[in-house]
Amino acid sequence: MGARVVVLGLASDFGCQVQLTNIEDHLLDVLGLIDLSYWQLASSGHMPDEYDVALVEGAVTTDEHVELLRKVRETAAVVIAIGSCAVTGGIPALAGTGDLEGRYEAVYGEGTDVARGRTRPVAVTSVIEVDYIVPGCPIDTGEFLKVLSRVLGGLSDKPSEQPMCFACKTRENVCFFEKGEMCLGVVTRSGCHARCISLGRPCTGCRGIAPEANLGAARDVFEQHGFETARSLHAMNLYNTNEEVAL
Amino acid sequence: MTASKNQHLAANPYRPWPTRITSIVDLTENEKLFELRIIDDEVRDTFRFDSGQFVEMSIFGVGEAPISISSAPSKRGFIELCVRKAGDVTGALHSKRCGDIIGIRGPFGRGFPIQEMKGHDVLLVAGGLGIAPLKSLINQIHDERHEFGKVTILYGARNPSEVLFRYQFDMWKHRDDFELILTVDEADDSWADEVGVVTKLFDKIEIDSARTYSAICGPPVMYRFVIDEMRKKGMDVDRIFVSFERRMKCGIGKCGHCGVGHQYTCIDGPVFSYWEAMNLQEAI
Amino acid sequence: MFFRVMDQSRLPDLVRGLAEEFEVVGPVAKDDRYVFGRIEDPADLELHYDTTLLPPKKLFFPPEERMMRFRVADNEVVDDEVYAGPRVLFGVHPCDINGLLLMDNVFMGDFEDPYYKARRENTVIVGVSCTPTDTCFCNAWGTDEVHWGFDIFLTDLGDRYFVSVRSVLGAELLDRHVETREIGDADTEAFQSASRKFKGSFTEELDTSQLPLLLDAKFDSPMWDELGDRCLSCGACSTVCPTCYCFDVVDRLEPDQKTGMRERRWDSCQFVEFAAVAHGENFRVSRASRVKYRYYHKQWGYLSKFERVLCVGCGRCERACLAKISPREVVKALETGGVQ
Repeated sequence: MGARVVVLGLASDFGCQVQLTNIEDHLLDVLGLIDLSYWQLASSGHMPDEYDVALVEGAVTTDEHVELLRKVRETAAVVIAIGSCAVTGGIPALAGTGDLEGRYEAVYGEGTDVARGRTRPVAVTSVIEVDYIVPGCPIDTGEFLKVLSRVLGGLSDKPSEQPMCFACKTRENVCFFEKGEMCLGVVTRSGCHARCISLGRPCTGCRGIAPEANLGAARDVFEQHGFETARSLHAMNLYNTNEEVAL
Repeated sequence: MTASKNQHLAANPYRPWPTRITSIVDLTENEKLFELRIIDDEVRDTFRFDSGQFVEMSIFGVGEAPISISSAPSKRGFIELCVRKAGDVTGALHSKRCGDIIGIRGPFGRGFPIQEMKGHDVLLVAGGLGIAPLKSLINQIHDERHEFGKVTILYGARNPSEVLFRYQFDMWKHRDDFELILTVDEADDSWADEVGVVTKLFDKIEIDSARTYSAICGPPVMYRFVIDEMRKKGMDVDRIFVSFERRMKCGIGKCGHCGVGHQYTCIDGPVFSYWEAMNLQEAI
Repeated sequence: MFFRVMDQSRLPDLVRGLAEEFEVVGPVAKDDRYVFGRIEDPADLELHYDTTLLPPKKLFFPPEERMMRFRVADNEVVDDEVYAGPRVLFGVHPCDINGLLLMDNVFMGDFEDPYYKARRENTVIVGVSCTPTDTCFCNAWGTDEVHWGFDIFLTDLGDRYFVSVRSVLGAELLDRHVETREIGDADTEAFQSASRKFKGSFTEELDTSQLPLLLDAKFDSPMWDELGDRCLSCGACSTVCPTCYCFDVVDRLEPDQKTGMRERRWDSCQFVEFAAVAHGENFRVSRASRVKYRYYHKQWGYLSKFERVLCVGCGRCERACLAKISPREVVKALETGGVQ
């Protein structure tokens, strides 16, 4: 019997769970190896009391989420955070950078009963320890399969620690800085084969700040290319408000 | 030039030989001794190595790890690897059972200068897992005991439960053709040998520095202190040999991970004389 | 070596002829830069390129390559074949040809690398002369000239090429596909004059005296800390370097977890895990030590084995480094005692 797996979504657009359905070609292979006990997006049943692996998508925005995550951590042997929202706080965490209550009111109207017990949005990784991460907005199915393979094989998580330039250069992209545009690849965790850049769009940092990024040196690079620190930080905030970014 | 497309790689130094695990001995909580037998008869029969050389141990799906050979070169048909569970590859090896098949490539690197050592006294100093490569040398000296003068072995571990090959050393302690001193940093009630770091044992031994070769293997912090003791005893820098652990990934001087100073540990080492090591930046 | 002269108008004949027998790869435009790409039409060939984003090493030692397929159950190799179709690499500058020769020492010396070797032996090299740019410093290492490592070399004399022929195959291909004529005194003089002009057009003469010695003598210099503070640890320098050959090996399982492949991919000594060993020790934790190692290895480590510096002065790393760390700056700092 394969590992019992549950898939949960917190605050997110469920885009990463949709990505999981896009594994199509290999879905049957994967399903043959695991016992998919619960998938929030695709099943109508209830979450079981026992399981081995929990995939969690989305940011933590309510007390209820916090409770759920603590329970998940107690129950599951392996917790995998998938997607930017779960790994860095992602876009939902942006809401927490200013007047959170005002933003709820602006969207839902004054006094509307929504998101009870709401808290400042944070990443799953800020609430519980996770064993594996699959960063990205949305996640890359190939990377997800690689991580799942390590989970099933009992191997440790090996996310890239480096910024993206190395991978980007192997794709022979002309650097955006040469074209006078800002690109966050210089501080963003690689592992996506510099996909956006290869498709002609600068990196927006969805995979989070690379642990080995040299932020001080990056600030100088931004400034030398005419991007003030405030602007660089603003760009980084899109996905990385939760990070202690000291540019 | 040939217009060939798919070339079968007859001699591929990256291709591991299927190798069967023929015995597993639990040495400590984290270390096991694996006896291995290369399955292909011809490869096995022609497999020769020197003490101090290593193999790349390969588990497909997980990866490779460089491991020193612990058995003596004179033991034919089998090799022994003493492996600590430290990462994914060694962890996967630890979960294997007797009879399972893994892969090995090698042997690689430069071992101890056994021919030079012959006819001399030998002082061997090991710390922790550093006993693994020295074990091969010790066994070789044992097998050719008449070729060597006085043999002194100093071996330190953190505590009694981490002393490797204790069953063998306990027997050797009673032999008069080996001087063997064991020490641990922290003793318990069962421990009847020395207590303290391995350098403290130098007070207890006599060395004729003019006719002694030495070999050291242990954690990186140990080398400097042990070498200081040896130098105090008057030993020449080119008769002290050290074995380095670096990230020998390919084993054949290509991948670059095991660089030490201007050399590669995998092909220029892992055994270096102290004189050579002194000339390697960031080595000791 | 023997020489011929070829009118530049004949170049398309040569390229088309070679394309009948080989896959032809050469410099093509990408945005306002160049890359080595497949040549379908001789008109795509940009022989007046400055440099390419990636050096030709990518054709012999790809950024990611499968080394072998394996079966998990019995830990057995299923295949370790390499595809190495016959190919012409057309329009390689002297620095890059020298870069390949330096790579050959590693991959085709002791313990031949079968993957590299298969591609190398199935590739015809046609070199072409160049004009130094302001980031070129091949003159510092003597890699501005190339004496072997090519089959044919074309020196641009304006209306014609002075053709150096190095190999039998090069001679045969030339004979088969393009009209050339014997060289005359005027051609040789024009060749010499072009060479002199080339040598005179470098913007800088780097002082590289006693470099290996200085690397040791200044091993603890604060210059390395300054460079370490600037380094982004992105590894771009290694990627674009025609002589960086370090790689990592990773196993990847198919989704069914029964079979998989062992792959190698380019790696960089600028990455923190590069020198880490399983027991938790890491021999180059600081950025400064890693930046230093890059230069230490290139200008002393490699030299100690092969008597050449592992740099060809192509200037790619300087252009790729957003922090503008360059071998030129490092060499000057070593020679004069400090980073600017």
